[in-house]
Amino acid sequence: MNVQAPTHTADATTVEEGLAIQEAQAVHDSETATAVAMQNTLLTPRFYTTDFDEMDAIDVSPVREDWDKLIAQMVADPNKGHFRKTEDWDHVDWDGMEPELRKEFIDFLISSCTAEFSGCVLYKEMKRRGNNKDITQLFQLMARDEARHAGFINDALREAGIAVNLGFLTKSKKYTYFKPKFIYYATYLSEKIGYARYITIFRHLEANPEMRFHPIFKWFREWCNDEFSHGEAFALLMKTDPKLTTGRNVLWIKFFLTAVYGTMYVRDHQRPAFHKALGVDPDWYGQEVFAKTSEISKQVFPITLDIDHPRWMPTLKRLQRANADLDAAKKRGGVSGALGKLGASARAAAAFLSLYTIPAIKNDVPAETRLEPMY
Amino acid sequence: MGLLTRDYETAPCTVEVSHKFDSLHAHVRFDNGAVVHPGDEVLVKGPPVMAPYGEVVIEKREARITRASAVERLWTRMTGNLQFMELCEFSFSEEATL
Repeated sequence: MNVQAPTHTADATTVEEGLAIQEAQAVHDSETATAVAMQNTLLTPRFYTTDFDEMDAIDVSPVREDWDKLIAQMVADPNKGHFRKTEDWDHVDWDGMEPELRKEFIDFLISSCTAEFSGCVLYKEMKRRGNNKDITQLFQLMARDEARHAGFINDALREAGIAVNLGFLTKSKKYTYFKPKFIYYATYLSEKIGYARYITIFRHLEANPEMRFHPIFKWFREWCNDEFSHGEAFALLMKTDPKLTTGRNVLWIKFFLTAVYGTMYVRDHQRPAFHKALGVDPDWYGQEVFAKTSEISKQVFPITLDIDHPRWMPTLKRLQRANADLDAAKKRGGVSGALGKLGASARAAAAFLSLYTIPAIKNDVPAETRLEPMY
Repeated sequence: MGLLTRDYETAPCTVEVSHKFDSLHAHVRFDNGAVVHPGDEVLVKGPPVMAPYGEVVIEKREARITRASAVERLWTRMTGNLQFMELCEFSFSEEATL
């Protein structure tokens, strides 16, 4: 697996372009000189299309009761007042923050903001292109939440002297394509693993408040409850069509689970200062998050990965080392770098295959889908 | 749409950029109902639409849609799925070191 697959982070060229544009625009900007002096980050969300006719054909009748309850809850918007700064938002000593931690924490904020923003773009596109009222309403509500989260993170970034640049619209954007079922699997897992990641950190910091180096972590619980609800909606969507979670699609589900867990493990280990500051061992954290995500995903997936299998953890470590070596080889360049890349990629692929072939644990999916956040 | 050639068209559009605390978003809507297909490219003409912090900017613009060739569209449909990891969020960028 290529866990170095492109993500949303701005690449160097684009950021430079963004900066040039920002400079040219500075005079038109009503912001003060201080704001112009802020470090600039161009958000670069991705743009997707899918089979909108297929999505329109979804009939939520089999899950109507659960569906209506969930939508009503999202319409009521219990978190509306949550995303605002209160006296709980302590002063952040950005200048006193250890440089490595500062770098990794800013990477966390920018990546999270971009992810929320991209989610908003994707959901809004689906809302706009669809004709099925149930589906468009859901996507409109989810787009609202994502934009709200993005705005909240943006504010934390501004405190750190970083301004996001939304000028990407006037750049050429190529639309790629995902089958609807790929969107369901990937976003379902992304929302549920997001919930598990945030709630695990939130509970850890509840028990160890002295490790909370930034106030944003105090907002994680309500934040991740939104992620949880979004995941519930995708679970119900998948329940409307049994084919999505049976037959050959079970192999896809296993593939997605393995790819998502593996990537998360690798990415977390690339941010040691962040985890050290929180007092979190990334190995422990990974297993905690996998266990919670697996437990939740039993609501709709007919299998879970065997994360206690003797091959699991050693192979994740091999995958992580292979990726670290791959990065070192890329930086080295030349013939030795090219050979190194080849070797490291082969090792990463072998590790992924080894993870994928660990026998999965079968699960009888319950008739009742809906869950409440329980961690 | 040609098998190998790309077509261009322009479409009037509405751009909305919100740079507010309670909503950070940016969208383009085609006012003539134009629809984007896999592999197409969209470029909103003119200078970047910049919303100062705390404001929402809505502008009428023109967009250039570059229609993918039939081959490109098919290729995008076949390979787009491989980039599914983009849909997943992991809190951190892919950069191995910062």
